[in-house]
Amino acid sequence: MYVSSLSEIRKIMGYRQCDGYEILLEVSKIPSGYKITGEVKGRVDDVELFSFPRPDKVLVNNWQSWGPARVITKEFKLDFPKELIQKFGFSASIMPEVYFNNLISDYFIASEEFVIGALKSQIGHVYFRLNDDNVSVHSRYFGKTFHEWTPIEPVVILNLAPDDGLFYYAELIAKENDIAFSSHNPIGWSSWYQYYLDYDYQKMVSDLDKSKELDLGYEVFQIDDAWEVDIGDWIPNEKFPSLKEMADKIASYGYKPGIWLAPFSISETSSVFKNHPDWLVKDEYGLPVVAYENWNKKIYALDTTHPEAIEWLRKLFITLKESGFDYFKIDFLFAGAIQGRRYAENTSPVEAYRNGLKVIREAVGDSFVLGCGAPLLPSVGFVDGMRIGADTAPYWDPNAPDIGYPNAYYALRNVITRAFMNNILWWNDPDCLMLRKEDTQINDAQRELYTLVSLFLDNMIIQSDNLSYEIDMKLWKLIKKYKTYGRRRFKIKGLIDGKYTITSCGVNGCDEVIIEELTIPQYMVSYDTPRVELKKIVEKRTDGRTFNYYEETHQ
Amino acid sequence: MMERRWNLLTGEWVMVSAFTQARPTNPTNFCPLCPGGDEFEGDYDLVSFDNRYPSMKLDAPEVESEGIYQKARSNGKCEVVVYTIDHESAMSMMPIHQIEKLIRMWADRYLDLAQNRFIKYVFIFENRGKEVGATLPHPHGQLYAFPFIPKRIEAKLQALAKYYDENGRCAVCDIVDSEVKFEKRIIYENESFIALVPFYARWPYEVHIYPKRHVSTIVELTNIERYHLSKALKVVTMKYDLLFKQAFPYMMMLFQAPVNDISYSHAFHFHIEFNPVKRDKDKIKWMASVETGTWAFINPKIPEEAAKELRNVEVEV
Ligand SMILES: [Zn+2]
Ligand SMILES: [Zn+2]
Repeated sequence: MYVSSLSEIRKIMGYRQCDGYEILLEVSKIPSGYKITGEVKGRVDDVELFSFPRPDKVLVNNWQSWGPARVITKEFKLDFPKELIQKFGFSASIMPEVYFNNLISDYFIASEEFVIGALKSQIGHVYFRLNDDNVSVHSRYFGKTFHEWTPIEPVVILNLAPDDGLFYYAELIAKENDIAFSSHNPIGWSSWYQYYLDYDYQKMVSDLDKSKELDLGYEVFQIDDAWEVDIGDWIPNEKFPSLKEMADKIASYGYKPGIWLAPFSISETSSVFKNHPDWLVKDEYGLPVVAYENWNKKIYALDTTHPEAIEWLRKLFITLKESGFDYFKIDFLFAGAIQGRRYAENTSPVEAYRNGLKVIREAVGDSFVLGCGAPLLPSVGFVDGMRIGADTAPYWDPNAPDIGYPNAYYALRNVITRAFMNNILWWNDPDCLMLRKEDTQINDAQRELYTLVSLFLDNMIIQSDNLSYEIDMKLWKLIKKYKTYGRRRFKIKGLIDGKYTITSCGVNGCDEVIIEELTIPQYMVSYDTPRVELKKIVEKRTDGRTFNYYEETHQ
Repeated sequence: MMERRWNLLTGEWVMVSAFTQARPTNPTNFCPLCPGGDEFEGDYDLVSFDNRYPSMKLDAPEVESEGIYQKARSNGKCEVVVYTIDHESAMSMMPIHQIEKLIRMWADRYLDLAQNRFIKYVFIFENRGKEVGATLPHPHGQLYAFPFIPKRIEAKLQALAKYYDENGRCAVCDIVDSEVKFEKRIIYENESFIALVPFYARWPYEVHIYPKRHVSTIVELTNIERYHLSKALKVVTMKYDLLFKQAFPYMMMLFQAPVNDISYSHAFHFHIEFNPVKRDKDKIKWMASVETGTWAFINPKIPEEAAKELRNVEVEV
């Protein structure tokens, strides 16, 4: 159904009989727009809800953490390196067969005039296909059969520019999903962007020692990839002691022990792959489906609907938690949502994925869970933090392909374009700050801007440096100062035109950074000058009451 | 006992608390907010603390609904916000610098309480004078952090969102523009704020303070704007006191966007309302049946005249 203007959207209401299923759509007015709800019955693969004229400039979004959220014009052609298509597999899309042959945007799309997006992804996947002259809005259910009339994933159309509209959209998502996540936004350290796989226990202890010497004030110390025997075999390798010893060591420094793993990924060399082939997502011939390739291996996907696989997953996280870990960076999560055959037939990839996350959340209780490589909308409500861009890297390359590959430039671009999710859906993880001045190609301006944007947008702050190197302590001082100011409210102008003004307000006033050109980068910062500075002292009385004393500090 | 009950007739929450009833009436010869009183042993500058007799608590007990009657936990917060150690002071008498500190404390309370995800609205207010139920003369206000959006706030959000829908602009931004042109209802103006008797005033000497720039919370004000706001607050309260040459009773209320809920921050414009209860030197405008029962107010004072009187009260800050 084509609507020539979004104000005509009511025309799509009503009953339709389609190939193998029936659908009933309703459109209701909400402030600044419309909400589309409906019900389906029958076997549904892909529903086209409606289509509308394509604007020249749109903000399009990839389905998962690392993927780009970027503004494209009609000239844009998807230029995905052919030789990488197989290697990327499902990390590029939940439906690679569509993604590599069409231009699509997942969950939402925005222009200077509107924001259109799904409020939920609990069964199906909402995406937008950008055709030459129009954009079609789709809800995909991957061939699931609905025996009863079942609500479809609701979609909203907001007549607002993204600078306002995206924030409103996020609030609607939060409300629709009734989400809760940690109110604590942590500061800490991670091993990855310094050591990658070249990491061991001695290095861990050395940075723990150094962090105390430098008094960096971490809350979390997180071990990344390198500790495990294999992807799928989550036991420490010969470079590390037992899980408990690792966690105890970190805790002895006063930090929350954090650990990385890729819980839905099973490598072809792992013992799980060899011993439990029935735990994997399979194709129509019963062969395991390759989810992606990494670590020079084929990686398969855990079937999170298989009772034994679920119990294995639950035990894994209970063991990690019982060993003392209290912060979990769970990575390559998209593997849980690949298409294929599962133990529980008639389960959509999205449902299977959410089932996996539910098991993890139940196992770790209120520990902090950071999603990474994660389908965004289906993760809502299960994670406390979420990576919202490509991996950062010790280099800044605006000319590299924009495909979610490690690159500080593209990582920072997404920190801005997906900023609206922060502190509404979860805490945004801008990816680690590398504050070292050696062993990096990042220059002073790039390092400063990355830090400023992450701080101004009230993101998670996790550092990844060998602390024996020279660290930019001027920036770390700024980080600690910002963190003591408490929460912030922020606003971004220029999401469509790419010249960004970020205003960041806290109790001490409003600071601003104007980014003229992100590629170089070229920017101006202005700090608001406090006229009063108050120190807060919190007193808990024996009757249970809290007293907050505010006292002027003179500088 | 502490719970909230759903009113099936009006669709609104009612907070029921046995604690608030335990509140003593008027302490006679001592002030609990002065150092050495019930609450403080020693000196302080500004402080916000949990009310001894709250109607909501962060750790309020779980409750169970009964039949058709829906109940919910009163999991919120009631704080007393003490402006200064100086018992004899008032907003109208406080140094502007102290009011700036107060604004900064308000901003901190707003952000701090918003960290509790179940808090949906932080309502900051002051009841001044025994005519509006203030039991203590010591300069202080209060705040209620609600686990729901109160009915009148919801009405404001809906009205502002509707205006935005129809006009593509914020209603208060448009009001500011038109009042600045009209001039007659403005009682005070500076670089960042206007104070006016609104066209739609419900109380005889009602005054609203609006920021000229669109912000939805006090947190988004710059430091210089917070200074301008403290001046506006001081001027308005001084004018009130000088109007009838007496400590003027009022209700002062800050309206900010909701937290942890749909904030319509593009359409919701932060503002302060002063609702004074006097209609003349010795006459009280009571909120009686019509006002309380229907929310429909009858204002005996023409807003433009009230504005003229207040504008003509000369104050120097
Ligand atoms: Zn006193
Ligand atoms: Zn406005």
